[in-house]
Amino acid sequence: MNEPLKLIADTSECLYLQWLIILPLAAGLLLMAVPDRLMLLKGLFALAVSLVAGYLSVVIYTSSPLMTAHGDMARQGCLTFLHSDILGKAGDYLTLTIDGLSKLIVLFISILGCLILLYSLAYNRSVRVKNYYPWFMVTLGCAYGAVLSDNLLLFIIFWGILGITLYKLIPGKDEESSAAAKKTMILIGASDTIMLLGMAILWKMTGSLSIDNISVETTSLLAVTAFLALLVGSFTKAGAFPFHSWVPDYTQGAPATSSALLPASLDKLLGIYFLARITTSLFVMSQGMKLILLIIGVITIITAVMMALMQHNFKRLLGYHAVSQVGYMVVGFGLGSVIGVAAGLFHMINNALYKSGLFLTAGAVERQTGQSEIEELGGLAKAMPVTFAASLIFAMSISGVPPFNGFASKWMIYQGIIDFGTGEGVASSLWIVWLGLAVLGSALTLASFIKFVGGIFLGRADKASSRIKEVPATMWIPMAVLALICIFFGVFATEIVVPRLIAPASGTFFFSGLWSSSFVSLLVAVSIITGVLVYLAAGIKKYRTEDSFIGGERIQDQTAYPTVEFYKTFMEFGFVSRIYRKAENKAFDIYNLSKEAVLWLSDRLSRAHTGVLPGYVLWICAGLVIMLLIMI
Amino acid sequence: MAVNIFYFFIFPGLLFMAVAGGLLSWFDRKITARVQFRQGPPLLQPFYDFFKLLLVKETILPRHGSPVVFMLAPLLAVFGATMAGLFILLPLFNISTGFRGDLLVIFYLLTLPSFSYILGSVASGNPLAAVGSSREIKLVISYELTFLLIIAAVIMKSGQHFDLDTVIAMQRSGTPFIGSVSGVLLFIAAVFCIQAKLGLVPFDMPEAETELSSGIYIEYSGPPYAMIKLAKYIMLFILPALVVALLMNGMGQGAGILWAVLKILGVVLLLTLIRNTSPRVKIRQASGFFFIWMNLIVVIAIVLIAFGL
Repeated sequence: MNEPLKLIADTSECLYLQWLIILPLAAGLLLMAVPDRLMLLKGLFALAVSLVAGYLSVVIYTSSPLMTAHGDMARQGCLTFLHSDILGKAGDYLTLTIDGLSKLIVLFISILGCLILLYSLAYNRSVRVKNYYPWFMVTLGCAYGAVLSDNLLLFIIFWGILGITLYKLIPGKDEESSAAAKKTMILIGASDTIMLLGMAILWKMTGSLSIDNISVETTSLLAVTAFLALLVGSFTKAGAFPFHSWVPDYTQGAPATSSALLPASLDKLLGIYFLARITTSLFVMSQGMKLILLIIGVITIITAVMMALMQHNFKRLLGYHAVSQVGYMVVGFGLGSVIGVAAGLFHMINNALYKSGLFLTAGAVERQTGQSEIEELGGLAKAMPVTFAASLIFAMSISGVPPFNGFASKWMIYQGIIDFGTGEGVASSLWIVWLGLAVLGSALTLASFIKFVGGIFLGRADKASSRIKEVPATMWIPMAVLALICIFFGVFATEIVVPRLIAPASGTFFFSGLWSSSFVSLLVAVSIITGVLVYLAAGIKKYRTEDSFIGGERIQDQTAYPTVEFYKTFMEFGFVSRIYRKAENKAFDIYNLSKEAVLWLSDRLSRAHTGVLPGYVLWICAGLVIMLLIMI
Repeated sequence: MAVNIFYFFIFPGLLFMAVAGGLLSWFDRKITARVQFRQGPPLLQPFYDFFKLLLVKETILPRHGSPVVFMLAPLLAVFGATMAGLFILLPLFNISTGFRGDLLVIFYLLTLPSFSYILGSVASGNPLAAVGSSREIKLVISYELTFLLIIAAVIMKSGQHFDLDTVIAMQRSGTPFIGSVSGVLLFIAAVFCIQAKLGLVPFDMPEAETELSSGIYIEYSGPPYAMIKLAKYIMLFILPALVVALLMNGMGQGAGILWAVLKILGVVLLLTLIRNTSPRVKIRQASGFFFIWMNLIVVIAIVLIAFGL
């Protein structure tokens, strides 16, 4: 990834690059002017534009492997169209770059954007957000911009606008969602400020703002500060511990499409994209930095999934999983090896696919039933077969059931950890800790998705569920497509997907493990078919249907053991229950902690406001003296 | 590819494992009977059981939930057991083919049967099955970390190699891993993990005949239940085989084959004796047992390995 980029003199190929950013942004601004009454029209227009952008990103993906588009291009454009050099020096900042990594991310932004827009056409007629489509298009344009920009200042402008669109895509309809929106805005805004500080330090150290040119060793204190400051930005965007606390609140309050677009997919793609830039290009990580990343990674995996186990609201449950999965990616990048980076990127792509898919299924269930609590639901498998099948596939993918895609990427992370164990240093000698906690997190993920799938789709159906119907085709097609991509990425992981898709972005490497995904998948298919044939040959047709047997007792309407009760036993351990109580009181929420600190500080400061004039005069004089001392 | 399909379905795959597992199941039942001063079943009893369920008994489907998932789950269980077994037995029998899986793959495939039982039982909509599956998943969470740490310790012992061929080759060129203090500790933890994975007493609370009337399997009957039996036979064979491969030197040629059979029988005998001499524990006790005591044993073993013991 660090090899010098080939400059492309021929601007015709690069022109696509700018249109990819400008087109969605312009469409977004245009749609702002159209009244919300023409919702469907706006949606169709947005879909058309995003399809064009998708086409452009495919063109870019298949173009020559490495190219940079320089500031000259923007100036040239101004000269041709406006006949004046209006940009002046600012043109130097408008540098775009494209390499294996950004191509990959751009491609997946397009795929997910188009699918979620298609889903929105029907979904957002019932769940209204003011100016949904304009902000959606602005989000897409800024996401492209952030990934393609080479200049750090240009990057943070796009990155910052994404924080605003996140705020705009949640309806402030009640107190809860307004509070969630505010919390998101404050956390994201604060992290952007810290990032800006990190960029300033980088500029001070190297005199450059170009991502291509900077490569700093994390040995000096200044470099470590810059590294950590940029890390805060990436972690808040992606939602890693301890900056994750906005994600569950946001997903609970926001419509499913907004959650599927930002916290589930684009924020992950961008946050991890920036993490990749930080760890592989901007900085050269020392052992200590790797240790920090690995610790944060495993803490994120375990704490978030433990919280997810206890949730009753399924959108909030998915929000905690959106946090937990980031831990795996952080661990992958913390390893610092090529296979670790590849595993992190592959897991990022997989996560974007199944997590946005899960939010879409959650949205479908919420739209059809009007419920978002797991215990109010049950037995929807017959009423909503496509949604059920899709969510089962997503759940198995995220839990790492072989041969789905989540397994493939986790398996790569694990072998990265085992290879890492051969190295020197503290972080390497603790490899068993990283491996053990990552695998435990995977088992807990499986547990909480049994609660999700079992509680919503399986189990005994409510009487009311006979009236529930499957969602319209524009909603189930995106889910089905995502599910098929999940299967494809799992089945052909080792043969096609990783070598063709991931390796160009991460660099080439060899698997140290053994897993032939496509042949095993073939055997899965053959075994299931053989099994069904055995069933048929054994005369399964002469079956009868009976109500549940509960030891001879008559089953009542209230007889049930809902899946939300499954993990209560774990709460009874003294140590665990104390931690849960603290977590419920938000003792680990950085937003809450800093809010309390600020309030405490302002309380102290307000005591200086006594209303006594001589006091104020004294303050003013003291201030003057201090200023004079600094000036001299 | 054709030869790999042969490996999967005939030898050392499905057919071989089913026969070996059935015979081991007879062994287990015979020993149990002798412990209880009974005569015990004839040699082919497990196969009679299987074919009666498959061919004679009728199928009863649950009225609620999802019958499709309910029926497909046992097939997934059989697949998971067979696939894991193939990846264990190919290196154990020293059959070299391009088609292999490493220890992590085996670890994940071995969870598939438990996962599919849970899925199938939740799909039946039966409240007792729900209690059973809640216990099963809690049991899985409890022993999964211990089981992984055992595998990680073996990986550490064999110098960060995690394919089974190398693990066996390392032991054959040196001493078997069980011939050290850490190896003995790992073996103890591994036996208890297998006990839980097989759902044998004291860890049979997911099925708990006396209180839950078979819990997770309560709604199963006829051919799908035959498939569950099949998966259980296979697991009874491949899990002891995995222990033999990981810690006890694997299998040699000629007389070594007999020796390996004896080792597997010895492990199964140990499992049977444990299940006949202990009562069923509560799920909380089982979780505490694995989270605290078994993990402690394995961590001690790992520390010993780090010091080369």
